[in-house]
Amino acid sequence: MKIQLDTTSEKTWCPGCPNHMILASVKQTITELIESKTYKQTDFAITTDIGCHAKIFDYINLSGIYCLHGRALPTAIGIKLGNPSLKVLSFVGDGGMYSEGMAHFIHAFKHNANMTLILHDNQSFSLTTGQPSPTTQQGYISKASPLGTADRPFNPIKLALAANATFVARTSAKDMKHMSEIFTKAIEHNGFSFVEIIQDCLIFNAEANNKDSLMYKIKDNKSLEQAEKLAREFDYNSKSGKIPIGVIYQSAERSLEDKWPQLKKQLNLKSNITKKPSILDKLIPTK
Amino acid sequence: MKLNITIGGYAGQGINKVSQIFSNVLSAHGYFTFNYRDYASLIRGGHNFNTLAISDTPIESHDAKIDVLITLDERTLKTHKQALKKNGILISGEQFESLGRNQNVALAGCLTKIFGIPFETLENEIKSQFKNSEEAIIAAKQGYDSQETSQELPKLKNSPTILAGSQAIAIGAINSGLQVYIAYPMTPATNAMHELAENQLENNMIVFQAENEIAAISMALGASFAGSKVMTGTSGGGFDLMSETLSMQGMSEIPLTVYLASRAGPATGVPTYTAQSDLDIALRAGHGDFPRVVVAPGNPTELIQKTSEALFLSEKFKTLSIILSDKHLAESEFSSTEKPYKFPTFNVTRPIPGSSLVKNSSYESDKFGNSTESYTITEENANKRIQKYEDIKQYVRKNFEMIKIHGNKKSKNLIIGWGSTSGAIKDAIKDLDAKFLQVIYCKPLSPQIKKEIEKADKVILVECNVTGQLGRLIREKTGIKIKNRLLKYNGRPFHTDELNKLIKSII
Repeated sequence: MKIQLDTTSEKTWCPGCPNHMILASVKQTITELIESKTYKQTDFAITTDIGCHAKIFDYINLSGIYCLHGRALPTAIGIKLGNPSLKVLSFVGDGGMYSEGMAHFIHAFKHNANMTLILHDNQSFSLTTGQPSPTTQQGYISKASPLGTADRPFNPIKLALAANATFVARTSAKDMKHMSEIFTKAIEHNGFSFVEIIQDCLIFNAEANNKDSLMYKIKDNKSLEQAEKLAREFDYNSKSGKIPIGVIYQSAERSLEDKWPQLKKQLNLKSNITKKPSILDKLIPTK
Repeated sequence: MKLNITIGGYAGQGINKVSQIFSNVLSAHGYFTFNYRDYASLIRGGHNFNTLAISDTPIESHDAKIDVLITLDERTLKTHKQALKKNGILISGEQFESLGRNQNVALAGCLTKIFGIPFETLENEIKSQFKNSEEAIIAAKQGYDSQETSQELPKLKNSPTILAGSQAIAIGAINSGLQVYIAYPMTPATNAMHELAENQLENNMIVFQAENEIAAISMALGASFAGSKVMTGTSGGGFDLMSETLSMQGMSEIPLTVYLASRAGPATGVPTYTAQSDLDIALRAGHGDFPRVVVAPGNPTELIQKTSEALFLSEKFKTLSIILSDKHLAESEFSSTEKPYKFPTFNVTRPIPGSSLVKNSSYESDKFGNSTESYTITEENANKRIQKYEDIKQYVRKNFEMIKIHGNKKSKNLIIGWGSTSGAIKDAIKDLDAKFLQVIYCKPLSPQIKKEIEKADKVILVECNVTGQLGRLIREKTGIKIKNRLLKYNGRPFHTDELNKLIKSII
């Protein structure tokens, strides 16, 4: 049976926007997971925030909720509380997640629900015409910041590690193969997996674009010390450092579903999904 | 017959224990009780008191004038001696201080003797409450023997059950098969979370504390989307934070039930005190036009019944239901022999992810669930939402009790009230020529209200808020302005005797 992930909705991203490539990679990853009989198409549920990234909701034929701005992540965690056997992906942008939804971001690592957060970071509020976001570099001039953005940007990878993240990865919207690999690893992680996609916006904050030459691929890393070092390499502010891409950190801890006996019970009842054991499971050191 | 006992002390002295033990003794002896809890927002110190009202017939309120005063500290004596009736009994807790934590038991012993209840009734109660009850029984006996019987209460055949409003919410939710409750702590909604959390495992339910109210209601919406029966709960400030997701419910049409327990606002207000000032936000919070149900039960029996109805309506009409309560209803302890009527049972039968493809959106969307800006679909969807409200209205009118009439049904004096104030009104009109119309469903509103007002000669509105929010709602829906208004807004509920006098002065 051919898997139909396309919808009839007209794509309204700008021509050449990296979101087109992210969509293609997501579809490729999901198709592979369905074809390998790991999951059924109906096992997936997505949540999306509000912003350019979120239009993915209309372009992919999966169950889901197109959420309010900032709320895609708590809504996704709610889906896991309502049915822990669903495979949940939450798509968010740097504006919605780190401004409106920052409390949810930090707490998601604490809950460690078995789901994936895919964060499209273009260092700009683009759908609202280019205001500075929490990861915008200093000095950025926009209609909302004619004097230049004065604040230093957040480093979300450092924040995630400080919040006891169990899976942190970074990928590039220009590398479809790498995106797919990272998405697959993130989905297979038992716990909350956070994937940051570095993405250009062709219209707004273009000076933050073209960081490709700074990027280099890393091997999957499981040392926290090394992860913290990797996190410091890119400060979102200058183009002087290196930008490591790949799995920056992964550890094994009890997921939300492991912590709540009620959810465990539900999972056992509904385990009609034949999940293949992942090679990753063997590699993860247990604490 | 009605008696009132006030027990006061500083927080941490365990005044609740005295009223709890003695309420149970009275229940076993066949009497109805109502326990009002007055406490400050602190953990140790300050001044807290309970007023326990006792009657041989059902009661749901307490009086300002009291028959017995038990003081655990000096401040209680100073604060409450004015309220003690001329021949009232004063008991100082100091005489039992040497008993340590059994001081409360000794005081319950005093009360048991004062009202001529056999010691063994108290003994049985203590045995059922304490694991090692020997010391407590000795303390109880010491208290019992220290008093003389002043008014013997003969044993009656009633066997009422004592319930606080928060417990009733939990019972109603569990009756309906609630699977997920998500909340952030806020008085006076938190006790419902405590009740549900305590009973979660045996009911295969998950009670989850989120990082804030915005997360709580977003998670609730997600869990409902996934196919679970879901509820969230909060008080006014938390409800404000939840507003955006109420609107999200209206658009996405994912079933959602919210328990709103009011306290005295605005802002942080008087956090451990009561008010009925959140009817307006229950009716209107959230941007855009979308349907909802607002139901405001008046006692625990109604709370059990109406919580089930709210959950049922949310699922049946994929709508928002708000159960409106307040501190006075949530935290007072009522005794009753009433049983809830037949509550609706239901299963989730809509398509859910896992077995179907389901798309719900915060955007206006087409039949596939994808976003649209089409003017025809925008208008069509708006019409569908309005039609849904019409369907809800018809269904509720046909199947559920929307109002109740109490008192002298033929009287031309009509009192209108709702929620926790209903108890005081019912008790206050017992010796008056008055009819009480209790509004239970605030949205939809019963068409009967207009007819009742038109039949009456004198109409009096009784509410615990500043602007008469129910009165304004009735005016909006019927065009009738109720001129006589008894409004109390000092954070305290109406006393029966106080309200009786106020109503008498008007009719």
